[in-house]
Amino acid sequence: MRHSSRIAILFIAAALASSLAAQTFDRYHKPDELNAAFRDLAKANAAFARIHELAKSPGGRDVLLIEIGPETGKADKTLPAVFVAANFEGTVPLAGEAALFLAKQLVEKPDVRKDKTWYILSCPNPDAAARFFSKPLRVAAGNDTRWNDDNDEAVDEDGFEDLNGDGLITMMRVKDPEGAWIPVPGNPRLMKRADWAKGETGIYKLVTEGLDNDKDGVYNEDPPGGVNIGLQFPHLFKFFSPGAGLWAGSEAESFAVIKFVHEHREIGLSFVFGAADFCLSPPRGGRRGDADLDRIRVPERMAGFIGADPARVYSLAELIELVRPMVPEGMTVDESMIAGMLDLGAVVNPLADDLKFYKELSEKYKDFLKNNKLDEKRLDPPADKDGSFELYAYYHLGLPSFAQNLWTLPEFKEEKKDAEITPEKLEKMTKDEFLALGEEKIEAFLKSAGAPPSFKAKQVIEMVQSGKTTPAQMAEMMKKMPKPPSEEGADPKEKALLAWSDKELSGKGFVEWTPFKHPTLGDVEIGGAAPFADSTPPPAKIESLLAGRVPWVFELAAKMARVGIGRAKATALGGGLYEVEAWVENTGYLPYPTAMGRRNNRIFPVLVTLEGPGIQFLEGRAKSSVSSVGSGDSQKVRWLIRSEKPVKLEIKASTRSAWGGRTSLDLGGVK
Amino acid sequence: MKRTACASLILAAFLLAPAAAQKSTVNLPLRFDRYYTLAELNEALQALRNAYPDLMTIEEVGKSEEGRAIMAATINNPKTGPALAKPGVYVDGNIHGNEIQGGEICLYLVDYLLGQYGRNKDVTGLVDQNCFYIVPVVNVDGRYHFFADPNHSSSNRGLRIPVDDDRDGSTDEDFPDDLDGDGSITQMRRRDPFGQYKTDPEDPRLMVRTKPGEQGEWTVLGEEGLDNDGDGRINEDAEGYVDPNRQWSFDWAPEYIQGGSGDYPFQAVGLKSLALWTLTKTNICIGWSFHNNGGMYLRGPARKGLGEYPSQDVAVYDYIGKQAERITPGYRYLLSWRDLYTTYGDSVEWMVRYLGAYAYCGEVFQRETETFKDLGEKAAAASGGEAGRQRQFASMVERIKYSDNLTQGEQYKPWTPYKHPVYGDVEIGGWVKMSSRLGAPFTMPDLVHRNAMAVLFSAKHTPDVGLDVFEVKKLGNNLYRVRTRLVNPKAMPSMSYQAQRDKLYPLDQLTVTGASARVVAGGLLTNADLDRVAYKKYRPEIQFLAVPGFGRVEHQFLVEGRGSVTIRYVSRHGGTVEKKVEF
Repeated sequence: MRHSSRIAILFIAAALASSLAAQTFDRYHKPDELNAAFRDLAKANAAFARIHELAKSPGGRDVLLIEIGPETGKADKTLPAVFVAANFEGTVPLAGEAALFLAKQLVEKPDVRKDKTWYILSCPNPDAAARFFSKPLRVAAGNDTRWNDDNDEAVDEDGFEDLNGDGLITMMRVKDPEGAWIPVPGNPRLMKRADWAKGETGIYKLVTEGLDNDKDGVYNEDPPGGVNIGLQFPHLFKFFSPGAGLWAGSEAESFAVIKFVHEHREIGLSFVFGAADFCLSPPRGGRRGDADLDRIRVPERMAGFIGADPARVYSLAELIELVRPMVPEGMTVDESMIAGMLDLGAVVNPLADDLKFYKELSEKYKDFLKNNKLDEKRLDPPADKDGSFELYAYYHLGLPSFAQNLWTLPEFKEEKKDAEITPEKLEKMTKDEFLALGEEKIEAFLKSAGAPPSFKAKQVIEMVQSGKTTPAQMAEMMKKMPKPPSEEGADPKEKALLAWSDKELSGKGFVEWTPFKHPTLGDVEIGGAAPFADSTPPPAKIESLLAGRVPWVFELAAKMARVGIGRAKATALGGGLYEVEAWVENTGYLPYPTAMGRRNNRIFPVLVTLEGPGIQFLEGRAKSSVSSVGSGDSQKVRWLIRSEKPVKLEIKASTRSAWGGRTSLDLGGVK
Repeated sequence: MKRTACASLILAAFLLAPAAAQKSTVNLPLRFDRYYTLAELNEALQALRNAYPDLMTIEEVGKSEEGRAIMAATINNPKTGPALAKPGVYVDGNIHGNEIQGGEICLYLVDYLLGQYGRNKDVTGLVDQNCFYIVPVVNVDGRYHFFADPNHSSSNRGLRIPVDDDRDGSTDEDFPDDLDGDGSITQMRRRDPFGQYKTDPEDPRLMVRTKPGEQGEWTVLGEEGLDNDGDGRINEDAEGYVDPNRQWSFDWAPEYIQGGSGDYPFQAVGLKSLALWTLTKTNICIGWSFHNNGGMYLRGPARKGLGEYPSQDVAVYDYIGKQAERITPGYRYLLSWRDLYTTYGDSVEWMVRYLGAYAYCGEVFQRETETFKDLGEKAAAASGGEAGRQRQFASMVERIKYSDNLTQGEQYKPWTPYKHPVYGDVEIGGWVKMSSRLGAPFTMPDLVHRNAMAVLFSAKHTPDVGLDVFEVKKLGNNLYRVRTRLVNPKAMPSMSYQAQRDKLYPLDQLTVTGASARVVAGGLLTNADLDRVAYKKYRPEIQFLAVPGFGRVEHQFLVEGRGSVTIRYVSRHGGTVEKKVEF
C-alpha cells in the first residue's frame, strides 16, 4: 500500500471514529441503524474489531455480531471471551442501546479489552425490534416468519387496527352481559375483574383494538409476526406453544446464534441485556424436574451392580462415592456420569454450588447500583422464560450466565393519606384544637373521608367557629358517610404505569378511555396502557441508565475463572529419577467450570502437559487433565520421570475459556 | 483422524479404481441376495428411474457432512394426480451407518412397486392412489465408510462430525486399526494363564469364561488397534460420535441426558436438509425408518415423560403393528420407551410430531435366526424356561456352525498370530464386519420382501375420504337443508389425533359456496334421526373437522338461495373432493 492511501484511510478512520464518538444516546436506534453503527465501529477500529454476519431474518434484516479484542481476526483464540447479547425478544429497545453503549465503551477503554475477546450481538431479533419504530405501535416479539396463529385456512389475516388513529394499539372495552371487567372504583381509568364475593358484577369485555377481519368472532388473533427468537433455545423449549416456533433453532436467527456459541468454545461468560435479571437474583429455582437429586432411588437391576440399596434414597454425592471404587483406573466419576447412568433427565434448577456465586454477586450488584444512585424501588423485572438464551447458556453451555434488566417502572408509592385526623381523633378534639389544624389539613381530611366535593374546608371552619357544629358532631357524621371508593383490585403494574405516565410522560403512557363506534361491536371505548410505556423510558433517560448499569458486565468479566499454574516443584529421588508436582489453580472468582458445566460435561478439562527433552514417564502422562478447579482452589498433578540429563521441563496448563498458564523447572537446580 | 482419513482415501482409491474400470455390477432386474455399496445403490436407483421414467423421479435432498448426496426417490403416477394430492408414504433406511439393510429394503420397495405396477392389481392401485417417498440411505457418509473402511458390524454408526471422545483436545485421532488388513475390525487376544477366558471345548475357535478357580488361557484385549495418539489407551477416540438418530429437533436433549445427541438439534447438515425436505411433503401420512437389529416394529412415544399418544392413534398403531408382526414372523410390535429404551431426538418421534404422521421404526434381522438347529431344538429354545434361555444364549456355537455350513465360513475369521507393538504376540480373529447384525446375503430376499410388505399394508390404510351428499331437502322459500357425509374406510384418520392435540396444522375444511346462495347455518350433524346439530356461530360456510379411521362425519347446512352450491372437502392427508348440488 502506498503511503498516501494509508494516510487517506487513517483520515477516514478518524472521521468515522469521531462521528461515532459524537453519537449520543438520546434516542432509540432502529435495527438497521444499530447494525450500521456496529459496522462503522468495526471499520473505524479494524485493528481490534470486526463484524460477523450471522444470519438474515425472515424480514430480510441482518443479524450481526461485533468482535472486539486483541485476537480479533484470529481463527484460533487463546484468550477467553465474553458473549454479550441484547434484546432477543425484540421488545426491549433499551437493551439494544446497551449493546451499542457497551461496544463504544470497549472501543474507548483499551483496558477492558486487553486480555479477552468480546462478542456483542446487538439485535438477534431485528424483525421484532423494528416494530418499535413503526405505526401503529404494539408490543410483539415475533419475527416475520409467517405463522397461522388461529390455525384456520388463512395466514396472518386478522391483525390489529389503530381504530382511533392515535398510532397506538391499546384496548377496547365494550359493555357486554358476559363481561367480566369493571373499572376500579377508586381509579376508574384502570380495569379489574369483578369479584362476585364483593357483590360486584362485570360490565365490560376487554378486547384488543382492531377489527375481526376474518369474521370468526375473535379479534386480532392472527396478526403478522411469527416466532419469538427469545424463546428459541433448547433448554426447556416449549413445543407447540404460541410464539415458540417449530423447534429450538428453527429460525435462521436463533440457529446462527446457537451455532456461533458452539463454534466459539473460548466463551467463558454469557451476558444478556433484556427483560429478565440474573444480576439481581439467580435464575429461578423450584421447577419440578424429572428427578429430585437429593433423593435418588436406584433401580433394582442397577442397585446390585453398584452395591446400592434399592429401598433407600441417595444424594448424587453419595452415589459418586459408591461408584468411584468400581470403575477402571483413570476414569473419572462425576455427577454427569451418575446422572446419565440413572437417566435422571434434565437439570431444571440452578445447582447449589452455583447459587453461591449468584447470590454473592447479586449482593455486590445491589451495592454497585447504590453507588450509581440507581437503587430506588422499582417493579420486579419479568421472570426468566423457558427457551430463553440466558437459561440455555447456563443449563446447556455450562457458563456463568447473567441477564440484566436495565429499567422497570418505579414502584407506585401510595400517597400518604393525611391520616392526622380521623373521626376517632376528631371526636376528642376541642373547637380550638380543630381550628388550629388550618384549612389545608382540614381540606385533606375531608377529601380522605369521602366528603362530597361541594363540602369545602372553609364552610366547615365557619360552621365550627359559629358553633353550628362541633368536632364531635362532625366525627359522628363522618362515621356515617359511605367509605371512599377503593383502589383495591387494581393491577400494581398498571398503577405504577399510571403514576409514571402522569408524572413523567405528561399522561402519554396511558390513553384515556374514549368512545368509538365500532363496526361490529357497536359502542366501545378505546384506551388503556400505551405499548412500551412500561418497559421503555423516554430517550432523555437512556444515557444515564446505561452509564449506571452496563459497566456491571466489566465487573463480572473481571471475575471470570482464571486458570494457571501456581507452584511447581521437582524432587530428585536419585538415579536420574524425579518426582515432579504442579498445582493447577484458579485465581479468578468464578469456578472453572460452573457446577452445571461439571454436570453437563460440556466444558473441557484443563489439559496439563509436561515436556522435557528425552524424559521418560514412569508415572503420569505427558498429557493429563484436571476436570475442574474451583475459585481459590488448586489441584495437584504429579509425575514420576526419569531424565539422564538435568534438562529443563516445561509445564503447561491450557483451557479454552480460562486463560491457562505455563511454568518451567530446571532439573539442574534440583537437589 | 488425518492418518485414518489418508488410509481410507488410499483404500478407497484402491477399491474404486478397478471397480470403475469393470462393468457395473448393477443390472436390472436387481438382485437382492446381496448388499449394495452407496455408489451401487445410487446407481441402482438411477437404473430404475431410467426404466420407469413415468412413475419415478429421483432428487438430491441435501448433502452430508462430507458432501455426499442424500437421494430420495418419489413414486407417483402423475396421470392420477399430483403427488401432494395423494396420501404420502415415507420410508427411509440406514440412518445408522452400519445398519445397512434399510437401504436394500428401500431399493426393493421401489423395484417391487415399479415392477408390479400394471401386473398386480393391488400394487397398481397403491401406486395410482398413493405417493411414495423413499430415502434408502440417510447416513450416506456412514454407508460409504462402512463398506470402504475396516469396521465391525457395530462400528461406524454415527455422523462424520468430529467429537473429542477422550477430551484431550484432539478429535477422532485414535480409531481402531485393521492390523491384519482383512477389511474387518475383529478382536485381539493374548495367551495368559491368568486370563478370564479359555478355549471353548465345543469349538476351539470360540472362548468361554473360566469358572472361579479354573485355569485361564486367554485375555481378550479388545478391538484390533494401536494407541495412535500415544496416550496409553487404544481405540478410545474413533469417528464421531454424534448419533444421527438423536439429532432430531423434537425433544432433543444435550449430551449429559442423551449420549450422542451432538451440540444442538440439527447440527448435522444432511439431516437438517432431509427434515426440511420432508416438511414440504405435507401429504405424508405414514413413516417408516429401517434399522437393524432385533426383529421389532417400534412405535413411540420415545420417552415416558412425553405421555402416551391419544388412544385413537394407539388404535391405529396397534392395527398396523399387529399385522406387521404376522407379515414378518418372529418380529414383535413394541412401544419404544417401555419395551426397549428411552430416546431423545429420534427421527420416528419427529415424524409423528412434525409431519403429523404415524411412524414406525423397523429393527430388522434377528441373530437368533442364524442357527444350525433342527425344528425340534428351535421349539425347545423358544419354549422358554431356564434351559431354553441357556440354549439361546449359548448360540455362539450355533452361529459358528451356521457360518461354516451356510456361508462356508465367511462370517468368522479364524485366529491368526500377530506381532503387536504394545502387546507383543497376540492373535487376531473373530466375527467379521459382514456378520452378527447383517444376515448372510442369501437370506436378504426374504427380509427385504417381508419388510416391504409391512410397509404396503400400512400404505393400504392411509386415509381415503369420500364425500356423500345424502340429503337435499327444501324447507321453505329458497331455504334448503343439505346434509353431507364424509366417509373414510381406512384405518388412518384424515389427521392424526396427536397432530390435532398439538395444533400442528389446520384441520380439514368443508366449505359450501354458491354464486347465488348463502349458508345461513351450518354445523356438525351429531344425530341425523333426531336432527341434532351443533351449529357454528361464525362462518357457517366453512367447517373444520377430521375424519376418523374406519369412520364418518356428517354435517348439516341450511342454505338460502337458488341455483347450485359447491361442496368442497380439503385435507392435507385426506385429499380433495368436490360435489355440486343443484337446488
